[in-house]
Amino acid sequence: MVETAVENARPLRASEGRSNLALEVTDLRVSYGPKRAVDGVSLEIREREIFGLLGPNGAGKTTTLSAIEGLLRPDAGSIRVGDVDARTHPSAARARVGVQLQSTSFQSSLTVREIVRLYAGLYGVELSNAAILDALAEIHLDEEARKRFRQLSGGQQQRLSLMIATIHDPPLVLLDEPTAGLDPQARRQLWDRIERMRGRGRSILLTTHSMEEAQSVCDRVAIMDHGVILTVDRPAALVEKHRDDPQVRSVARGEVTLEDVFIGLTGRDLRD
Amino acid sequence: MTDAADTRRAATIPAPAAPTLRGILVSLLRADAIVQLRNGRALALGTVLPLVLLWALFAAKRATTLGDPLFLVASCLSLGMASMAVLGYSITVARDRETGVLQRLRVTPAPTWAIMLSRLIVQVVAMMAMAVVVLAAAFLFEHVELSPIGYVLTIVVLILASAVFLSIGQLLVGLIASADTLSAGGRLIYMPLVVLGVFGHTSLFGTTFEMVSRWSPSGVASSLMSGAMDPGASTGETWLAVVAAAAYTVVFAGIGIRWFRWTVR
Repeated sequence: MVETAVENARPLRASEGRSNLALEVTDLRVSYGPKRAVDGVSLEIREREIFGLLGPNGAGKTTTLSAIEGLLRPDAGSIRVGDVDARTHPSAARARVGVQLQSTSFQSSLTVREIVRLYAGLYGVELSNAAILDALAEIHLDEEARKRFRQLSGGQQQRLSLMIATIHDPPLVLLDEPTAGLDPQARRQLWDRIERMRGRGRSILLTTHSMEEAQSVCDRVAIMDHGVILTVDRPAALVEKHRDDPQVRSVARGEVTLEDVFIGLTGRDLRD
Repeated sequence: MTDAADTRRAATIPAPAAPTLRGILVSLLRADAIVQLRNGRALALGTVLPLVLLWALFAAKRATTLGDPLFLVASCLSLGMASMAVLGYSITVARDRETGVLQRLRVTPAPTWAIMLSRLIVQVVAMMAMAVVVLAAAFLFEHVELSPIGYVLTIVVLILASAVFLSIGQLLVGLIASADTLSAGGRLIYMPLVVLGVFGHTSLFGTTFEMVSRWSPSGVASSLMSGAMDPGASTGETWLAVVAAAAYTVVFAGIGIRWFRWTVR
């Protein structure tokens, strides 16, 4: 799995122009009162790329995603989703983005089928009852169509949430810690789904605490801390680049891994 | 799993078509209506309570004088609306905020005002349905009959009265972050609202209480509705009640919207 994903990682080409960008964030700054949570973040997600945002708790990952999703207003910076300026045309940008939030929920009184119908409608997608059941069958939830969201298991909720995030076939999908709390089987299935999304031409930006996940599914990763991006590259290239870094060497237990690079760059201190 | 060849073959995904505002509103209204219909507590509070009060007030009226029968019916309607807005709408919004339902809706193309408008429309329609039930019960069991224009005016005025109570609900959910705290606080506010609304036109507790009660939000709503039920008997005070209701709505909704947060974090 790990090897396959790394092999599939699309090589980056310096010649790729802006027209190939699914997302372009430039000099993003976000503050909570006096605290600067995101401080000059710039990143580019190319078409058909899975991009991982790594960082300890409080690094600014979710804040960065929230700004891209339009959930909070940045102090400065620009966000372009494809050719749409997300700050001046937030609704148009949201129509081009699929989002799975870190902790998400749907109206507890609605059944799975009603939830799918609601979100299809919100994205302007017309689905017949048969089409809804077909879509649910794809994620093995057709038998749960009449159940309420709260009656689903964690893995089922996650599958539904991801399905709804992509119900309008968006070019860009944002996933905030998509595999948190999932068992290994569910995690592997989700990785497969994420890779299938890329195969269908989508770009994916995900945040994660899992180095295994970053290495397995991400074409490129950015390590972020204290609101700034410390480094960006392919997982294997990051290991290679920082292999001889004294801070990385000091935390390595044998062969240098992506986790060693992560801890070497962000420090050993526990975060809230 | 997709292989590299698939990846290369995949064409650039065209931008999805932008949803229409009408489509967004229809989807939200349908979902909010289902949620409202499945909310058994809201149904009980909003419909059964006013009917119980109607029976209790008219039973009491046979022994004492609590006021004009139309005002008693109006008080029952106020009770139903207060229940729906303070114990239903505000708590549902707070819980949806706490569990992330609102955030999930916000990352769709739906404008934030549409998300809230849909919920408010469903509440107003539910209040109208409750009013029809209460007016029908008053007619059938207590022989309180309105003129045709009285029924029409009552329905029209109900919209303004519902705005008063929903603005109180919005005020609560705007100022109180936690759903549990709001649930407790809502009950604290609910009781005085009901008492002031029911006894607004009686001098049972003295003239000062009557004055406070008459110009309280629920007292104003009850005055409005009783005035609409009998348009011929409407006085200048009814028009003052219209102004007061509008003022309450603007102030409460203004504060509730200004301080409203979509997330508790």
